[in-house]
Amino acid sequence: MGGYAGQLLYIDLTSGLIEKKPLDMDFARKYIGGLGFGARIYLDLIKDNPDVDPLSPENPFVLMTGPLTGLKMDGVARWTVGTRSPQTGFWGDANVGGFFGTYLKFAGYDGLVITGQAAKPSYIFINDDIVEIRDAGVYWGLDTYDANDRMTEDLKGQSKRTGQVVCIGPAGENRLCFASIINNKRHAAGRTGMGAVWGAKNLKAIYAAGSGTVAAAYPEKLKELKNELKSVYEESIYIAALTASGTPAHIDVGAISGDVPIKNWQMTEWDGFNEIGPVNIEEKIFAGNKTCYGCSVACKKDAEVKDGPYKMAKGPSPEYETVVSFGSMCLNDSLESIARANEICNRYGMDTITCGATIAFAIECFENGLITETDTDGLQLTWGNSEAIVAMTEKIAKKEGFGAVLAEGSAKAAAKIGKNAADYLTTVKGLEAPMHDPRSAHGYALAYGVSPRGACHEASLNFNVEGGAMFVPEIETLSMVLEDHSSENRAELNVACQDYGMFFSSCAVYCNLGAVPLNATQAVDMVNFATGFDFTLEEVIDIGRRVWYLKRGLSNLFGARADDDRLPKRLMTRMEDGPTAGSLPDMDKMLAEFYALREFDDNGVPKKAILEKVGLADLAALLHDGKNG
Amino acid sequence: MGMFESAEKFEEILAGFFRHMGATKSIADKLLASKLIIRFNYTDPDLVIVVDCSGDQIDVRPHDTETKAIVEMSMSAEVAHRFWFGKVNLTSALTRKEMVAKGPIPKVLKLLPAVQPAYAMYPQYLDANGYEKYNITRAYRPPTA
Repeated sequence: MGGYAGQLLYIDLTSGLIEKKPLDMDFARKYIGGLGFGARIYLDLIKDNPDVDPLSPENPFVLMTGPLTGLKMDGVARWTVGTRSPQTGFWGDANVGGFFGTYLKFAGYDGLVITGQAAKPSYIFINDDIVEIRDAGVYWGLDTYDANDRMTEDLKGQSKRTGQVVCIGPAGENRLCFASIINNKRHAAGRTGMGAVWGAKNLKAIYAAGSGTVAAAYPEKLKELKNELKSVYEESIYIAALTASGTPAHIDVGAISGDVPIKNWQMTEWDGFNEIGPVNIEEKIFAGNKTCYGCSVACKKDAEVKDGPYKMAKGPSPEYETVVSFGSMCLNDSLESIARANEICNRYGMDTITCGATIAFAIECFENGLITETDTDGLQLTWGNSEAIVAMTEKIAKKEGFGAVLAEGSAKAAAKIGKNAADYLTTVKGLEAPMHDPRSAHGYALAYGVSPRGACHEASLNFNVEGGAMFVPEIETLSMVLEDHSSENRAELNVACQDYGMFFSSCAVYCNLGAVPLNATQAVDMVNFATGFDFTLEEVIDIGRRVWYLKRGLSNLFGARADDDRLPKRLMTRMEDGPTAGSLPDMDKMLAEFYALREFDDNGVPKKAILEKVGLADLAALLHDGKNG
Repeated sequence: MGMFESAEKFEEILAGFFRHMGATKSIADKLLASKLIIRFNYTDPDLVIVVDCSGDQIDVRPHDTETKAIVEMSMSAEVAHRFWFGKVNLTSALTRKEMVAKGPIPKVLKLLPAVQPAYAMYPQYLDANGYEKYNITRAYRPPTA
């Protein structure tokens, strides 16, 4: 076999016990990797006590690579994390690029399962066979940039190859509910507060170094595929745009269709896009290209602000989601301030989508008199006030003054603010919607609604397919022509995007950006050439379906019900002009069709029979009989 | 035959619109700054138009198959028409090869903000020049009580 490193690490921070377990290849065949492994192992660990507090030692944390992670191919450097989310209370997960997953495999491990809670700030040191829990006292309190640099320097010479650091910042240490985990300063497991779980476990970082490689089962076939894909990538305009401008390339394209939210989702057109779009990013702050391991797409960029109030040393540039969250969402056309807010979020270790969207929500509360300068510690939290936006970002990071209220995320902040603050929310299951407007593509509404982790455009491939970046001719539903601004066929589309998507970006852990040009044949072939398995497309779709029900079932186990599949009023308000004028997703229709296709009961819980059919009888017993099956 | 009854009519409308854009300073300045020479190859009906931004003013040349273009854009007349209403999902059109672009793509993408005002201009141009029947805009009217 190939692709896999062949071992999983089980680390209990309470007892200090470290176990290396061989990867069961029958298990690998059934779940492929990534969140397939992670969610399955997580369920096994909590099924005796499913009502686990996200910030308790009893909440396990899974970090898993895929069988492709570490191969020198485009769009496969990614790895995954998962646990019960302290932000939403439901299943939480995130998918990350960068280098850490590769280095973990070089050390000989496909993933880690972390349980318990260390008695004092700790980090996990991995260098091939050496795995130790070490004192992180000197790193505790450092931001993610400084912790990364200092740990890398301190550990130099302790391994043959310099390792990779993945760490939390002060936000995670302080259990900020949307704290992220960051590799190499820029690659964030951003959503659903994974960093807070590390903070609660007193886990500052993991350092992974290894002398191995990732070998494919059929290297010659993989090489042939790589050659075949060369022209596919060269012809892809989507890839060319990513290489040229990174994810912010979508701003200009998305603005045409009304995909990019403005003023907390209240407007459809805004002149400020010229200021914060890719042309100005390149002219004003661009400072170089970066990439993930083995990927020639290089969609990551560096930025630098040389002077002015938002002066920032060369470092990670804001991605699309960040530019929009802190930009058009807040009517903020100061690109430099967006770069600075991004730097604060990265350094402290916070999710930029939740942070920016929560500030936009707070601005609307301020505008409508629900909060005043007295509440905001003197800040004039008004639309476009870049100074106040950056200042509030820092206050949130430090949980200082009103920042402590917003550090709970917008949903909990709305409950504290009271009155009609909830009218300004953009959350589903407590997670702020990403920067793609469902009024421009109705399937997004359903995708946000039924996603196990809350409003998310990456929880399936719906955004890629309905948004147009991905075309999968082998799967009829993923290649059909969709009527604009219509809710027809979106339930069917979402199901297909979830099943194939779980295989693609959760289990095989393909990148939803850099691997977009692959058709299904190429995607399945690459997994087969790497692993030596002989998966068919039908089989990987079945696995994807199993993993989707697993993640959905975990959220159901944590209390998610049909009401949690609804979109907030703000996203379901018809726009009167602009590209999406008059367009409104028909959620009743889409949810009814989706529930029927997915065989849900009226509570939004998958029926026992379908769970048993997809190989999740134990989950069925837990959900329907309240017992460990 | 698609939505245009003849290549002549399509040329009259589209080349006319390109000239109208070229006469609109806010757009023309940005196009000229790009120095691009773009050849549009349309089908159903077949038509070639070169938009030359390499000089002091925008030069629109139908049937020019000789000039060496920097960028070649190919699409059906219908896709082109819908594009200028802002009604084409550009990402999807390019992925599904309803639009094919060849040349320095980043430079082309940089023109998107420059031409964005043209989406509002196109229906107005059609109405003002006797092409009302080609105006596919169906303005949304908020429901009345």
